[in-house]
Amino acid sequence: MTAAIELENVSKVFGRFPAVDSLSFQVPRGVIFGLLGPNGAGKTTTIRMIMNITAADSGEIRVLGNPMTREIQNRIGYLPEERGLYRKMKVVDHLLFLAAIKEVSREDARRRIAEWAEKLELKPWLKKKVDELSKGMQQKVQFIATVIHDPEILILDEPFSGLDPINTAIIKDYLSDFRKQGKTIVFSTHVLEQAEKLCDEICLLARSKKILEGNLRDLKRRFSHNLLHLSVDAPPAEIAALPGVASSQPVNGGYVISLAPGTDQREFLRRALDRYPLQGFSTKDPELEEIYLDAVRASGIEETRTIE
Amino acid sequence: MSWTKIFAVIRREYLERVRTKAFWIATFLVPAFFLGYMAVQVASIRKTSGERRVAVVDLTGHLAQPLARELAEREEARRKKTPGSRGIHWIIEPRPVAGDLEKTKEALRREVLDKKLYGYLVLDPSLLEKDRAEYYSISVSEFVALEQMERAINTVLLREKIREKGLPASLGKELEKRVDLKTLKVTTKGATEEKGGGIIAAIVFLAIMYMTFFMYGFQNLRGVIEEKTNRIVELIIASVRPTELMLGKIIGIGLVGLTQYLVWSLVAMNLSLPAIAGMMAMGEAGAPMIPLSTIGYFLLFFILGYFLYASIFTAIGAPFNSDQEAQQLAIIPQMLIVSGLAVYPAVMNNPNGGVAVFASLFPFTAPLMMFLRTAVAEPPGWQIGLSIVILIVSTIGLAWFAGRIYRVGILMYGKKPTIPEILRWVRYRPGKVLQPASPPAS
Repeated sequence: MTAAIELENVSKVFGRFPAVDSLSFQVPRGVIFGLLGPNGAGKTTTIRMIMNITAADSGEIRVLGNPMTREIQNRIGYLPEERGLYRKMKVVDHLLFLAAIKEVSREDARRRIAEWAEKLELKPWLKKKVDELSKGMQQKVQFIATVIHDPEILILDEPFSGLDPINTAIIKDYLSDFRKQGKTIVFSTHVLEQAEKLCDEICLLARSKKILEGNLRDLKRRFSHNLLHLSVDAPPAEIAALPGVASSQPVNGGYVISLAPGTDQREFLRRALDRYPLQGFSTKDPELEEIYLDAVRASGIEETRTIE
Repeated sequence: MSWTKIFAVIRREYLERVRTKAFWIATFLVPAFFLGYMAVQVASIRKTSGERRVAVVDLTGHLAQPLARELAEREEARRKKTPGSRGIHWIIEPRPVAGDLEKTKEALRREVLDKKLYGYLVLDPSLLEKDRAEYYSISVSEFVALEQMERAINTVLLREKIREKGLPASLGKELEKRVDLKTLKVTTKGATEEKGGGIIAAIVFLAIMYMTFFMYGFQNLRGVIEEKTNRIVELIIASVRPTELMLGKIIGIGLVGLTQYLVWSLVAMNLSLPAIAGMMAMGEAGAPMIPLSTIGYFLLFFILGYFLYASIFTAIGAPFNSDQEAQQLAIIPQMLIVSGLAVYPAVMNNPNGGVAVFASLFPFTAPLMMFLRTAVAEPPGWQIGLSIVILIVSTIGLAWFAGRIYRVGILMYGKKPTIPEILRWVRYRPGKVLQPASPPAS
């Protein structure tokens, strides 16, 4: 089976500024794929090129195995970063319109609107004008608009930005649901924390270039520097002086220890156990942010922008 | 092109506009205004009905009395035909020439200015030979009165000629009948009489076109900017091609305009028919017959002109983020529309003159001016054809040009772009969505 989305050496230049520089990646079907990077890394441009809103200068983009066609466009649910609504329209008319331009029959659209309104507790608002809705409610409408045509692929540009915590939780739940149904979800974010919990696969961008791509679990293993969490009562200086400790950081009730390369984890634990009464220990995966910073460092790109 | 999608856009543009209160207020306010205007007109016509005291300086010496009789007879006939109608009551005062003619005229002029007289008529044999008579009045635009006077004079002169030639007086009646028949025939030649109604219709159509280009053209600009400021346009573009969106918007907004005119014509038919009937009974104006060709040309030039201007307004709206920013450039099409009206008098006076020919070929004034020419004169067929061809080519060209700017502009936020920047967009390669060539892989 072909990948849901494939990019091959895709580049885009705006004036003299390269927005995306020979980018290649694959989004397998049925995964949640995170397109990550700081603001200005080229995420939105990449997504717009996939959606064929902007044309690539060079390279090839395939969606469901083909260059984008109108038929495929109808099978994608897209939530742009700049998302708006017609403010004077009634919610139900608005959703019917967005369904109609995806060539969903009016009948099907009405049924799905009713279902989603039920699920998202939007029913009393359907006859109201978009203007009269709270921001949270509008976000729900935007989400329904993205999925009203029951798409196979969801492409969401910064879906959580501006979302209140309740809606964030709701939408994360639905994204997980969609994946269970075998749908593919691509979303971009500059908040790595959000990606960490949701993504199966990621592609990290910095300065219009890809710096890392792959399965998140594999990446974590690759980038884990033998991180250990020890619950122990000991002075920081002594912990830092233990043989094999590259660095240590006190955390609540213990330390996060990074072992020097080549140190055997079991050997180290045995030695620590000899010296201190260990209340507990666990291995710790590196956070996405650490992976990101490591990867940026390794790629030699100077990253001046801060990442949240 | 997906007509399902275009239709969805048309439907939204149309319904969302037609459902607003503002639309219905405007729709009913304008006819109300027109009715008020017409009421004033009717009232002023009523006011001018009544006594008309006219002095006649009869240099022939035998025409003043028959004229007074003829006018009185006509008045009587009208009263019999429509009892209770208030028309003009002529009072003819024959005046001798006191001193020389110029002095008499000078004295009469004073009397007219002092409002003792409504006007005075000079029947001079030397002029009558050249089929002319002079009528002086404060108001030379009271057409109903003028026409009555003219007809009466002609009748009197006809009878006079018959008498002079020694022919039987009964022949006069025969010939008068022929005079009536002749007026009817004139219509087929497209001469003044019958054109009256046609010209009024043409002016109404012209006003509708002008208003549509101006108002509904501008609606396109606002619609584009609104979608940008709402930040909805990117979502739409993910489903609809920019060209389809643009086309849908232009058609949808145009249909809103047509709806308004439909309401207006219904209102006009229901409310103003009695008024027109009343006016027709009072004066002798013919029923306004609108030639089919006028309606045909109206539809043709209306559609072409609307698409032309809507494309320009769309292109001007797309690069900007507020009406204010766009206003500077919006002046250009607005001026072009107004320039059509600026040459209106020249075209009206000389419908086949140089100005008229140019204005009806120049694509930006052609919709208004070629239509006007077809209504008031008979321009050569090749000019009509050429005008239509130029207009179609310009409209397609401008729509293409507008489409290029539109597809780039709608995604441009932030800094107000400069005109050279906007023109560069035309050459810019935008995203293109392929038609499904092969069955989708799955």
